[in-house]
Amino acid sequence: MGSLFRSEEVCLAQLFLQSASAYSCLNPKVSAFQRRFVGEVRRCEEMEKTFTFLQQELRGAGRVLGPCPESPRAPLAREALRVQEQSEQLAQELREVSHNRASLRGRLRELRQYLHVLREGQRFTSWPVGLGGGTHPGGATLFVAGVIHPWRVSAFERLLWRACRGYLVASFVEMPEPMEDPATGESITWVIFLISYWGEQIGQKIRKISDCFHCHVYPYPESEASRADTMSGLHSQIQDLSVVLEETEQYLAQVLDKVTLALPTWRVQVQKMKAIYLVLNQCSFDVTEKCLIAEVWCPVRDLTQVQDALRQGSYKSGSSVECFVQRIPTSESPPTLIRTNKFTAGFQSIVDAYGVASYQEVNPAPYAIITFPFIFAIMFGDVGHGLLMFLFALWMVLRENSPSLRQSSNEIWLTFFEGRYLILLMGAFSIYTGFIYNECFSKATVIFPSAWSVAAMANHSSWRWDSQPHREPCLVPACTDTPLWDPRLATNHLNFLNSFKMKMSVVLGIVHMGFGVMLGVFNHMHFQQWHRLVLELLPEMVFLLALFGYLVFLIFYKWVKFSAANSLEAPSILIHFIDMFLFTSNAANLPLYQGQVPVQTVLVVLALASVPVLLLGTPLYLCCRRRAPRTGPPAVRLGSRRGGALSRGGGAQRSLTHVDFAEIFMHQAIHTIEYCLGCVSNTASYLRLWALSLAHAQLSEVLWTMVMRQGFVRLNYVGGVVLVPVFAAFAVLTVAILLVMEGLSAFLHALRLHWVEFQNKFYVGAGYKLCPFTFAPDTWE
Amino acid sequence: MPGYSEFYFNVDHGYLEGLVRGFKAGILTSADYVNLAQCETLEDLKLHLQTTDYGNFLANETGPLTISTIDDKLKAKLLTEFHYFRNHAFEPLATFLNFITYSYMIDNVILLITGTLHQRPIAELVPKCHPLGSFEQMEAVSIASNPTELFNAILVDTPLAAFFQDCLSENDLDEMNIEIMRNKLYKSYLEAFYKFCEKQGGTTAEIMRPILEFEADRRAFIITINSFGTELSKDDREKLYPTCGKLYPEGLHLLANADDYEQVKCVADYYAEYKAVFEGVGSGTGEKTLEDAFFEHEVKLNVLAFNNQFHFGVFYAYVKLKEQECRNIVWIAECISQRHRTKINNYIPIF
Repeated sequence: MGSLFRSEEVCLAQLFLQSASAYSCLNPKVSAFQRRFVGEVRRCEEMEKTFTFLQQELRGAGRVLGPCPESPRAPLAREALRVQEQSEQLAQELREVSHNRASLRGRLRELRQYLHVLREGQRFTSWPVGLGGGTHPGGATLFVAGVIHPWRVSAFERLLWRACRGYLVASFVEMPEPMEDPATGESITWVIFLISYWGEQIGQKIRKISDCFHCHVYPYPESEASRADTMSGLHSQIQDLSVVLEETEQYLAQVLDKVTLALPTWRVQVQKMKAIYLVLNQCSFDVTEKCLIAEVWCPVRDLTQVQDALRQGSYKSGSSVECFVQRIPTSESPPTLIRTNKFTAGFQSIVDAYGVASYQEVNPAPYAIITFPFIFAIMFGDVGHGLLMFLFALWMVLRENSPSLRQSSNEIWLTFFEGRYLILLMGAFSIYTGFIYNECFSKATVIFPSAWSVAAMANHSSWRWDSQPHREPCLVPACTDTPLWDPRLATNHLNFLNSFKMKMSVVLGIVHMGFGVMLGVFNHMHFQQWHRLVLELLPEMVFLLALFGYLVFLIFYKWVKFSAANSLEAPSILIHFIDMFLFTSNAANLPLYQGQVPVQTVLVVLALASVPVLLLGTPLYLCCRRRAPRTGPPAVRLGSRRGGALSRGGGAQRSLTHVDFAEIFMHQAIHTIEYCLGCVSNTASYLRLWALSLAHAQLSEVLWTMVMRQGFVRLNYVGGVVLVPVFAAFAVLTVAILLVMEGLSAFLHALRLHWVEFQNKFYVGAGYKLCPFTFAPDTWE
Repeated sequence: MPGYSEFYFNVDHGYLEGLVRGFKAGILTSADYVNLAQCETLEDLKLHLQTTDYGNFLANETGPLTISTIDDKLKAKLLTEFHYFRNHAFEPLATFLNFITYSYMIDNVILLITGTLHQRPIAELVPKCHPLGSFEQMEAVSIASNPTELFNAILVDTPLAAFFQDCLSENDLDEMNIEIMRNKLYKSYLEAFYKFCEKQGGTTAEIMRPILEFEADRRAFIITINSFGTELSKDDREKLYPTCGKLYPEGLHLLANADDYEQVKCVADYYAEYKAVFEGVGSGTGEKTLEDAFFEHEVKLNVLAFNNQFHFGVFYAYVKLKEQECRNIVWIAECISQRHRTKINNYIPIF
């Protein structure tokens, strides 16, 4: 609790690291923080480059790297060298083998292409035998054959025709099986071409063109017989190559196995190593003493732990001189450290989203644990909806260790998952408020028998009424007494709830705000600003209580004083409250109690009088103190008792001499105006509790009457069948609109009430977080 | 509605404009250049580039770092970005982006023809081509022996065909003719691009006009200066000048009649901005060359393009600025690897 109430004491400390043992000191998990280790960092980067290569190869082979089994420690220098050696050796091996394989594959592909060219060429060359001999007795028909990328076919064909003016016959045919493209690695269907031409000059031109288009040209034997010979030769070559290729692949698989085994651990190790060196790079280097000096923020509580770690580090590295840590005074404001656990983290993040607490200021998060779900639940009060939400959150909480939930990549889901305890509490509180409102999916339940009796009305109107004996009016123990019959029959249902919820929101709002102002006490006491206690907190409290605290009193007073019997002559609080400010009294509005007018006058005067105190008090006090000769205590106290833990207020005091009086006054004026107007507007702002809870109730009622009740029209089997889709619609709409949408809106409004209405009463939120140096496993990927 | 393009510009081109402006923010600043210029080795240069938008574009380079790999990687990055623009572009932005590539295509064609003329194997030439200007039939250029064949067989299918009308001749391809062909192609290209931008109207035309005018005039100046001492006649020379610049028509006449560098400078004196450019040129070592002065002026014009919204000029400017950045980095890298530190500051800072 202590650490959640306000941020921990953090001090600036100097770490003196012997340069020999600096590396091993940072090695254990320590919260710590001119470019001396560039070489080492570069070495790490080189190793990472090797790893990237290995990983690419693995991915190319379709293997997936498993996560690192356990968290390995950062390697020692000797170990790192070994890792580097081994990884490079593996990479070299892999490179050779895959190069071999690639060349083998290329060779195989060429052979198979050649085979296809010959086979397909057969079709074209078998029939023009007579033609070739007949028309050109002078020269035999010559051939150029090869394969070409399918995209280039049309341009190739056109260029051939243009360049050779049609003195050729080109035929194109697709290869029957797709093959790999060496350039991109994709599998494509190559196109075989066979060009027959006459004359050597054109042949040269064709060869040149086909070179330009990156065609693979293969020699095409003239005679049928030699073609058959070549083909059979190719067949045997292909078989041989396939065997060799298979062996290579096996060897490659072995190498890859080795890599898969070792790589994950290496990667984490080297990443840790690099992180350490990067941090060490930021340390300043003391030339004379041969040691590194690091300035770190360190929680006072952990100083001994740090010292231990340093001692272990220097022991492990075998250096004779010990590393040590030393606190140093500072005028800088230390970072904020609030330790959270999985339960409080969600609430703390709500507060942090508004602003990280200033150093050692009161942290609103512990109060938000209760107030946030409660204020949410006021707007979301429904037993049924609350139960659904509670169960959903409970499911998340129970399965919070399952990796599939934890490592989901869906950002929206993760948001919900992070706030599971928040949702759990919100659901639980909604069940409670729903119980108070007596609503479950907009239907009232009869937990306690209703205190209503129609007997009085029946007697009065001389109805026949004999079924039930007369019952004495009594109090329902807990929840709102909704009459047993349909709430719509009780025409004053809404009137009653409106009045009740409105007053409830005002009361809760003022209590909430008053609590916020009271929390300021802890801030002022902690920072030893006693003058602010008297000059700021007191007038603020008086202003709030005299005006709005009195309103709360009136509400309760009227509830207690007037009962159903004399409710006709009950005066209106609203009119009284307005009259209070106007210093008048209204004859039509009976006074609530004797001597009301003088009491109210005193209260208003008190409240108004507190405004100038609030406005001028602090500036005048500071001004006077500055003029008075230095009596000593403040500065001495600062130095002696609080030591290095310098507070925000302390900083303000010390730098007081430089701060302009006008500036202080301006700040105070702004604060005063903001506070006084804020009291009015914030009170009105709490009425959103009323509005939203009303909207929620009405919406769920609409959903019930317009959807669910339509399923109840027939009370036979057909009606039962109809009920199924109707219920489905009801369920979907309930979850989508009432749970998700309404839940989000209530959440947002609760958030606003906390950030604006509650926290601005005491919370500055101008700090920055302590970011410790840590090897968090999820930051590596 | 050319005047009101800002109302619907974002419908088609908003995403890409936003993107190009984002990329523009990654162009190296002068502070980056100062850091780069202090590097001792190429590895240091790589480390420094890692802190910029280039990130770890060299991270997976195994083996020693060479300038050509750096250059290739820089170009590859620009190419990726450009292809992304091109693949997501609608008309007329798509055509505009195509126009940007044409100039690189012209350069590539000329490079290949010249290379073939010198009996270089095509495999050696292709890597030297700018990747932005590569096209399918590019490598077949080497089989042509004269411009007509080049056109009829190869280039007729490419977008360059439209620029080829002026250079159809049966002349053999010798060095002089190739150079003339390059300039004629460039002239047609610039004029077509200029016309296209004018047709777009609005801010695009407003931004692109000065940039293209400058480009045209720069070519005119450079053609004139390079032609001194060659057998190019003055009439032929005048035919090569792009006619969409500020110099057209009087300035071009004067340039056509110029006989030496001083006369060219006199012509430039009539035009305020070119006068400034020529005055910035020094003759001594370590001082700016005319080329650098022109580059500097170009950078200035391109940077201006980013001051307006809803136009295509930013894409052109981005490609050109990025190209300049590649040149700068390569220059610095060259200076580092050759230990020629005195000239290392001769790069042209962009922002």
